[in-house]
Amino acid sequence: MQRRISRVAIVSVAQTRLRPSWDRLQHVDLIGSAVTDVLKGTGVTMRDIDFVIDCGSDVLDGRSISNCGFLGAMGGHHKEESRVEEDGLWGAVYGVTKILAGPASIGLVVAYSKPSESDVSAYYSTLADPFYQRPVGLNHRVASGLAAREYLRAHGLDPEVLDAPAAAAWRNAAANPYVEVADAPDAATVASGGLVADPLREHHVSRNVDGAVAVLLAAEHIAERITPAPVWVTGMGSAMDSQMLTDRRPGELEAAAAAAGTAYRRAGVTDPASLALAEVSATSVAEELMVLEALGLAPRGHGASLYGDDSPVAVNPSGGAIPADPVMATGLVRLAEATRRLTAANATTSRAVVHGAGGIGMQNHCVFTLEV
Amino acid sequence: MSNVAVVGAGQTHHARRRTDVSQVGLAREAAVRALQDAELTMDDIDSVIVATGPVLFAAVNQPEKWLVDALGARLKPVVRVTSGGGTGLAGALAAVNQIKGGFAERVLVVAYDKLSEGALQYSISTLYDPFWGREFAVGIMGFSAAYWKARMDLLGHTEEAAALVSVKNHRNALLNPYAHVRKEVTVEDVLASRPLCWPIKLLDVPPISDGACAVILAGEDAAKRSADPAWIRGMAYYSEGENAADRSMIQSEPLRIAAEKVYREAGISNPRRQVDVVEVQEPYTCFELSYYEGLGLCPPGGAAQLIESGATQIDGDIPVNPSGGCMGANPIGATALIRLAEIAQQVRGRAGAYQIPDAKVGLMQAGGGWANLRGVAVVSSTKN
Amino acid sequence: MSQLFTSPDVPQVLTTTLSIPYTLTPGGAAGQFLAGLAERRILGSRCEPCARTVVPAQDVCGRCGEQTPDLVELPHGGTVTSWTAHQGRVVAKIRLDGADADLLHVVAAEPGAVEVGDRVAADWAAEPTGWITDLAAFTPGRARSGPAEATPVARAETSVEMVPYRLDLTYHHAYGPYYGRMFDELGSFSRLMGSRCSSCHRVLLPARAICDVCFARTDQFDEVSDTGVLQAFSVIHMEFVGQTRKPPYVYAEIVLDGSSTRLIHTVAGDFDLADAASTLSIGMKVKAVWKPESERVGTLEDIAYFEPVIP
Ligand SMILES: [Zn+2]
Ligand SMILES: [Zn+2]
Repeated sequence: MQRRISRVAIVSVAQTRLRPSWDRLQHVDLIGSAVTDVLKGTGVTMRDIDFVIDCGSDVLDGRSISNCGFLGAMGGHHKEESRVEEDGLWGAVYGVTKILAGPASIGLVVAYSKPSESDVSAYYSTLADPFYQRPVGLNHRVASGLAAREYLRAHGLDPEVLDAPAAAAWRNAAANPYVEVADAPDAATVASGGLVADPLREHHVSRNVDGAVAVLLAAEHIAERITPAPVWVTGMGSAMDSQMLTDRRPGELEAAAAAAGTAYRRAGVTDPASLALAEVSATSVAEELMVLEALGLAPRGHGASLYGDDSPVAVNPSGGAIPADPVMATGLVRLAEATRRLTAANATTSRAVVHGAGGIGMQNHCVFTLEV
Repeated sequence: MSNVAVVGAGQTHHARRRTDVSQVGLAREAAVRALQDAELTMDDIDSVIVATGPVLFAAVNQPEKWLVDALGARLKPVVRVTSGGGTGLAGALAAVNQIKGGFAERVLVVAYDKLSEGALQYSISTLYDPFWGREFAVGIMGFSAAYWKARMDLLGHTEEAAALVSVKNHRNALLNPYAHVRKEVTVEDVLASRPLCWPIKLLDVPPISDGACAVILAGEDAAKRSADPAWIRGMAYYSEGENAADRSMIQSEPLRIAAEKVYREAGISNPRRQVDVVEVQEPYTCFELSYYEGLGLCPPGGAAQLIESGATQIDGDIPVNPSGGCMGANPIGATALIRLAEIAQQVRGRAGAYQIPDAKVGLMQAGGGWANLRGVAVVSSTKN
Repeated sequence: MSQLFTSPDVPQVLTTTLSIPYTLTPGGAAGQFLAGLAERRILGSRCEPCARTVVPAQDVCGRCGEQTPDLVELPHGGTVTSWTAHQGRVVAKIRLDGADADLLHVVAAEPGAVEVGDRVAADWAAEPTGWITDLAAFTPGRARSGPAEATPVARAETSVEMVPYRLDLTYHHAYGPYYGRMFDELGSFSRLMGSRCSSCHRVLLPARAICDVCFARTDQFDEVSDTGVLQAFSVIHMEFVGQTRKPPYVYAEIVLDGSSTRLIHTVAGDFDLADAASTLSIGMKVKAVWKPESERVGTLEDIAYFEPVIP
């Protein structure tokens, strides 16, 4: 009789440092490092792993079915392995469902990108349909600029409202050993940065970085043998918006709200503010505020209030995706960051919400709720 | 363990080039047909999984982002699973896990490729390491031909035996209204056809097609409302390091592992006797021979004898590719899902002119990459 | 195509370029829309159940997922609802008069000269090419052409069926410590170095940090012989777009003595390619034929080919 698995836990996380360029290492070196580290101290060996899910991009890697070339570094040899060609948080969705489905009980989720090796703008513009949006110059920056203007207009806000959250993100990242930051800009520096996608300035938009992240998932009956502090996945949801930028509701992220709604319903979360730690992804500060609002952490137009000292929610204590966006790994890095904070000796909260995004203008959204 | 079934399947009429629909329009056609077949609407679908070949086939990165509108799937979970040629099966496996894992009750899997729009061999050649060997690549055909030559010497998979595969599958495709190639060929035609990557010759190679396939999978409660569910009795998809030490290309290890797991799940000890119909993804004729052995339909080295005996013909005791297989149509990203759809329709009694009488248990195989990604599934008209 | 930088001051990358040609089919409504642009007509589509007219025309309503068979011709003027400027170019959402959703396009104006609420009008390319850029941009001001209001139209006979496209992608692949050492040895000493697995002790070529089979680290570099066994081969006759080597040639997978992995190369020598099938055999010994030292560049191309070793 097969054991009915009711819960899945994150039992270990590991990642490389996120840097603008790991130009002396290959993908396999970054992946191999994260995967080796995620097993350390767990008592789990590669032999115990039932499956591997990986998230990377052929377009960024310059190689078709690039996971084929990286299988050895991620331990995929003679295992069930699948590529989810989306942000790593969707890989985690696959991993969790696979364990809940049985009979697999331990799975590895890996996400990686080396945007420094390619043209990130081409990665994003090729996400747009080739007939209507790509030829007029749509890319991630253009999408962010439009989203920012619509958000600010919808709520009657000045662009300056974006400066303090950006400075907070960079300050947090500078204190994060997993992110390489040479000089964290303060709010005044943010405000004087060059316009990248009007009204967004240099430090308002995400900085692409290289890196890999690995997350080890386990079924309930095994999790507690691997670690004294398993982090339980209590809810998951995802939703994709329209591909036409002009067919999405301006000033908000409807799909992020839909994904959060599903995750919260599954987790029985009725008061999102009870999730006192939020690790969210975004390609610009304005979109980060829109995410926080879609997650129900702040009223619409008030996302910026969450960055103050008296905020009920710790927003991106890692720094989030603005200072460090490893494209395909960004959401899974959020999951790793939240896991580390929930299990830290000085943890201040037992519940967290994690968000990942994919697509141009953050078309696709994925939300996890976690609990220790 | 909750059970999962195929409750609907649909595919396009495959063609060399469809100039009347876009990539996403093509995928929508298959999805609409699958929904009609299942007597469902998009409102009944909880989650969508998209499977296509590598991005460079079509110049559209993460094409599910474009497809969402054409499917009417806005604000639903949509994700793409990719795994080279076997991607359709990898997508179906993700769907099975979503259902068994309680993430969704009904999942639409859509797989497609519009190969006419790109430069196929150029794109596939980028599978090779940019530092190491890419300049010698002819997609994956040179590699496949090289190891066929090795199996020819070691296992007796002769050019004549492979030609019989081509003849059989071409003939079966004549019965398939969705097939794109409908032409009878003889052993002599195959042997005399132009060598592309010897020993692979033109008629060992399937066509390059535009096509799509969609399958709807449902959990036990939802499937019970279907008149004729095809129950998934086992499904697995395994990988192998493409340049792992001492990797054997003579008998596929990942195929053996996947088949073993699926047979165990499905309670199959003698596939030749217990399976009624087989669909395999044969990107070249030589692979069908290899799969006979990998799937245990005959002993190692027995493939040539098996095809020569007529057992895998449509009226044989273990019919393989009654639909015509890839020889009828090969829209690569869709091809694996088409194999699953075909065996599901067989055990549901909906396979039309190539229905195997009284088929109850179907077996399918798919794969891709450097012959290092291999999957297997068994479906049946009964739940256990 | 490939360069190897050995100076420690320079990032060690291999630059490659993919330049892949496509012929893309817009299909149904998009084909009609693009054909319409050649006649300086802007077509949208209308979903009656949703009571929405969107532009450019879509086959499927993004809101309800139903087919939208009704085409509508729209006026050439509209209002800017949102804009951004990126790399000197203004991209805006424009609400054409009579439409219920915006159109994404370029506004030909200086970034500082555009505001939400501005009126803009279609500006046409001199020569249509079948792309949306036949509608070159929108310019500030009132429309001087086009219908006064949204007008239902029948589907035209002509449609754009195919447009040529090219994807140009450039990559800077890092060598990393394993390929770096391997190619440095190849370049400096014309020798092939693999890495040895600390667990199974097999030597892996190309060199790598982790043994695929054992998931154990490799712990030393070992020189691999330039002779080996022909594990598999085929004879390439086929030509294709993007091919870098001219057929015919032998595609060979060789396991070099002292290694346990596949090396992809070619076999040539004192035999006619027409006889390759009978001259070569699986399991036969082959030996590298190196290019003259002056022609070596530190890549696998330093080996001109492998030749059969006649015992
Ligand atoms: Zn509608
Ligand atoms: Zn080893």
